[in-house]
Amino acid sequence: MSTSTTSAPPGAARPPAAGRTGRRKSLQRPEKIAAYLFVTPFFLIFLAMIVTPLVYSGYLSFFREQLIGGDAFVGFENYADALQDSAFMSGVLRVLRFFLLQVPIMLALSVLFALVLDSGRLRLQRFVRLSIFVPYAVPSVIAALMWGYLYGPDFGPFAQLAEALGGSAPRFLSGQWALASIANIVTWGFVGYNMIILYAALRSIPTELYEAARIDGAGEVRIARSIKLPAIRPALVLTLIFSVIGSFQLFNEPSLLQSLAPTVITNAYTPNLYAYNLAFVNQEINYAAAIAFLLGFVIMIVSYVVQLSSQRRERRS
Amino acid sequence: MRTNQRRAAAFASVVAAGSLVLAACGGGGGDTGEGGDDASPAEEVSQEEIDEALSTPTQLLFWTWVPDIQNQVDLFMEEYPEIDVEVVNVGQGADHYQKLRSALEAGTGAPDVAQMEFQHISSFRLGDNLMDLAPYGAGELEGDYPEWVWSQVSDGEAVYGIPQDVGPMGNLYREDLLTEAGIEEAPATWEEFEAAARTYREANPDSYLTNLPSNQAGQFMGFLWQAGARPFSYDGAETVSINLEGPEVDKVVEYWSRMLADDLVSTDVDFTDQWYQGLSAGKYASWQTAAWGPVFLQGTAGNTSGLWRAAPLPQWEAGENVSGNWGGSTDAVMSTTENPIAAAELAKWINTAQEPALRLATEQFLFPAYTPVLEDPAFLEQEAEFYGGQKVNQLFSEISETVSTDFGWLPFMDYAYSSYTETVGKAIEDRGDLAAGVQAWQEDLRSYAEDQGFTVE
Amino acid sequence: MTTPPTSQPLAARPAAGSDVVAGPPVSPATARRKRRPVGGRPSTVLTIAMLAATAYFLLPLVWVVVASTKSNADLFSSFGLWFADDFNLLQNLQDVFSAQGGVFAKWLRNSIVYAVVSGVGAAILATMAGYAFAKLRFPGGNALFSVILGAIMVPMTALAIPTYLLFAKVGLTDTPWAIIVPSLVSPFGVYLMRVYADGAVDDSLLEAARVDGAGEGRIFLRVVLRLLAPGFVTVLLFQLVATWNNYFLPLIMLNTADLYPLTVGLAQWQATSAAGSGAQALFSTVITGSFVSIIPLVVAFLFLQKYWQSGLTAGGVKQ
Repeated sequence: MSTSTTSAPPGAARPPAAGRTGRRKSLQRPEKIAAYLFVTPFFLIFLAMIVTPLVYSGYLSFFREQLIGGDAFVGFENYADALQDSAFMSGVLRVLRFFLLQVPIMLALSVLFALVLDSGRLRLQRFVRLSIFVPYAVPSVIAALMWGYLYGPDFGPFAQLAEALGGSAPRFLSGQWALASIANIVTWGFVGYNMIILYAALRSIPTELYEAARIDGAGEVRIARSIKLPAIRPALVLTLIFSVIGSFQLFNEPSLLQSLAPTVITNAYTPNLYAYNLAFVNQEINYAAAIAFLLGFVIMIVSYVVQLSSQRRERRS
Repeated sequence: MRTNQRRAAAFASVVAAGSLVLAACGGGGGDTGEGGDDASPAEEVSQEEIDEALSTPTQLLFWTWVPDIQNQVDLFMEEYPEIDVEVVNVGQGADHYQKLRSALEAGTGAPDVAQMEFQHISSFRLGDNLMDLAPYGAGELEGDYPEWVWSQVSDGEAVYGIPQDVGPMGNLYREDLLTEAGIEEAPATWEEFEAAARTYREANPDSYLTNLPSNQAGQFMGFLWQAGARPFSYDGAETVSINLEGPEVDKVVEYWSRMLADDLVSTDVDFTDQWYQGLSAGKYASWQTAAWGPVFLQGTAGNTSGLWRAAPLPQWEAGENVSGNWGGSTDAVMSTTENPIAAAELAKWINTAQEPALRLATEQFLFPAYTPVLEDPAFLEQEAEFYGGQKVNQLFSEISETVSTDFGWLPFMDYAYSSYTETVGKAIEDRGDLAAGVQAWQEDLRSYAEDQGFTVE
Repeated sequence: MTTPPTSQPLAARPAAGSDVVAGPPVSPATARRKRRPVGGRPSTVLTIAMLAATAYFLLPLVWVVVASTKSNADLFSSFGLWFADDFNLLQNLQDVFSAQGGVFAKWLRNSIVYAVVSGVGAAILATMAGYAFAKLRFPGGNALFSVILGAIMVPMTALAIPTYLLFAKVGLTDTPWAIIVPSLVSPFGVYLMRVYADGAVDDSLLEAARVDGAGEGRIFLRVVLRLLAPGFVTVLLFQLVATWNNYFLPLIMLNTADLYPLTVGLAQWQATSAAGSGAQALFSTVITGSFVSIIPLVVAFLFLQKYWQSGLTAGGVKQ
């Protein structure tokens, strides 16, 4: 690792200047050198901040350190343990369930809002767009904190409202509702973000493509279905992949709501939370590293499946 | 840039190699060396050395969450002008210990002195992270603390923390609500308490006599402590005992099972805004809490001032007088400190010198562990408006004498507490089989201990 | 590790504008200009439906605004979505900025510094790299790009703990660098800039400049950078928001309250107020602090909307 870091060409910090040196003899060489110089600064930090910790983490995952008895090389034992660890497995299933529940709702809303905004048939367009997008500017820590208050079972506004109306609000952070309540927080924060990506994609479709259809008498819904949606499929796949990553790495929201519902949102509620607690509460850093690696692996598989199926569908159509 | 990077890389590898060597030697100690639990007691530090160290310019880092502790630290710096103490709050409870562990693990950034609750001492001793304070004059303090308190911080001759505050348990209750429900006196036994809970519940369908939080291992441990159970112990080396069976535990478990099954107690998570509201809105008519509870309650349920009273914890046998402890903490010195003398003096001085120690009790309202303060009239005679003029400190200092000694802990209490929530706490929340929950907790702790290489008894 | 396989599908697809945009890349600005006249008459039903949806998104924000005007006692005794009789906002603001010796202002400043430095730094690095991947041919380029893309999927806990241990070894924990340096790497930013550069920089332009004898560095500074500005701002904003919102990394890296960003500081206040600490519960301060901490980003969004969207167009449309 350190060799590739230190063997970087000198002056890597000022690549633009380097390009000026010497007249070009062939078309290829200076371009090649320039390319490396342009990529080097990023790649150096990439090596230091992502590859090195990852390799180190992989290294750690092959050891086991006990409180009594110290360090020992255990090969793949941590991985084998993780695969039989019901806490880890149920965490993975939970985020999978979260993904299947939350992502379709979130993306459907994002598509719907983007289409409505793009149709140009809305008053107060700017206001609506900004209002939907603004939660993205709220850090998830603060979002979880706010929703935590709103979810209050006796004194939260929903509970107060329900009581005033003579009913009772669901216990948002009970075992039955907690996952949906977390899904709601994430949906609230990210619908606008995905909407903006999709909206931007919609806006860059040249209008000629469907002006003809409109002249032929096709309605907005028809145009949306047969022209707009296919056109923004790549953007949709992109948001889907981000959602896979976000869902499976769920951490902030459950971690902050944990103090409100510790028996429901347990330490192994999501795999990421589990890895964190393994490392910092249980003092099992090595096992935590193995869990984190397996989680990364799960994320890659799911992303791959998403990509593959979207490509296949595209090819068919 | 390149040279920097190379230097950094070289530095990293040196440090890595160094830490491996240290790890191999099994001790992360700095200059102090003798931090561990070696058989031979560490050598006494001479008064000359102490004087010299205290008049040498020194910087200390002190991690604590105690509010306004800066007052005590300022007094310390007036007393020893050469010593500069930086107070840092890295979080409370679990956050604090996580950060402390990470810093110790990483080998840099750890404080010289840290706040340390009693139940976590053995866990940091295990990593040889705590310095033995006996050579720095801490041993002489033994007589100034109740026996049960001293047994929490010492092991033989060694002393691992200077006790700051303690939490002998009592019962705070709403006199007005109890009277309304026809309960004239604070229940003296748990049996009476159960009967009162029934009466109270019949009179108040929206309210409970008390709350048993599903997340509060500390309180539950206090109940076990009072009942005479000794579920945990650690020999300071490789053996732990984990025993949540036996009549003392069963007694507590069966009692609260019944209370839960008959809906005589609520199960709200404590220390949340929801719970605060419950306290101030009268959702819970009593709170079985520690000596730090009275002032705490005063701050959070201000609107109910004058309505509360304090009493001893209900007893298992009529006429008995026994209590347990919940919470309280010490100031411990990390074995990585480079200034052991100054660090030890800081821990000792702020908790035992007249002015800072008394102010801890009378201004910051920590319930003192230190007997001279505990017996100080300025502390004992305080009358609390919130409790209708009752001398609450007096009551709790009497309770403090009834806490039984020799309650042990595991060297991994942060794990044990987090596991509690998911086993026992889950059973409480579900109003399910508490005995099964306790059983599951025991099994989980045993298997964790075995995985970690302990011998489990 | 196993990164290359996953990134394959993403990277294997030609980055050149294949899907939607036929012919020469259409810059988002031109597309928008063409779009204005389309669409039917405004629909009232649609507007009402969307306003109802808007209410959902604004509800927590309304709550936080209302709650910041309440005293700690009113916070729980009055209805959450309407004002209490007592208007306490100024007092709360004063509390927020004076608590613990005015540490909140430091958090605010830290958040801004971390976010801006990381945002600008990440955008510069990503722009250079993205341009090189898109427009300059060099051996190993595709493989390198695949590796970078794969990194998007690495779970943060896999990185955070070892990064902490490595930083501790070089004495970087509990310094601002511990937050800024890791935030300089934005694999997604490189991806975005590659796609953007692909559409926005015309090859013939580069060739012409080369024929004129301009060096690659000169071309980048004089010609390319201007064309890439919207993409640059997008990456900047992305990373700015990501760093601003980051909780996990500063949580484990920092111990000194003076170095905390807003997220960690407020979470700690929340924990402290919940735990009581023998002091007064600070719920009203935490809520007012949350409110204040939302404002800067909202304002930034309002002013930078245009860039934000046009940059995203490229990233979203072509893949």
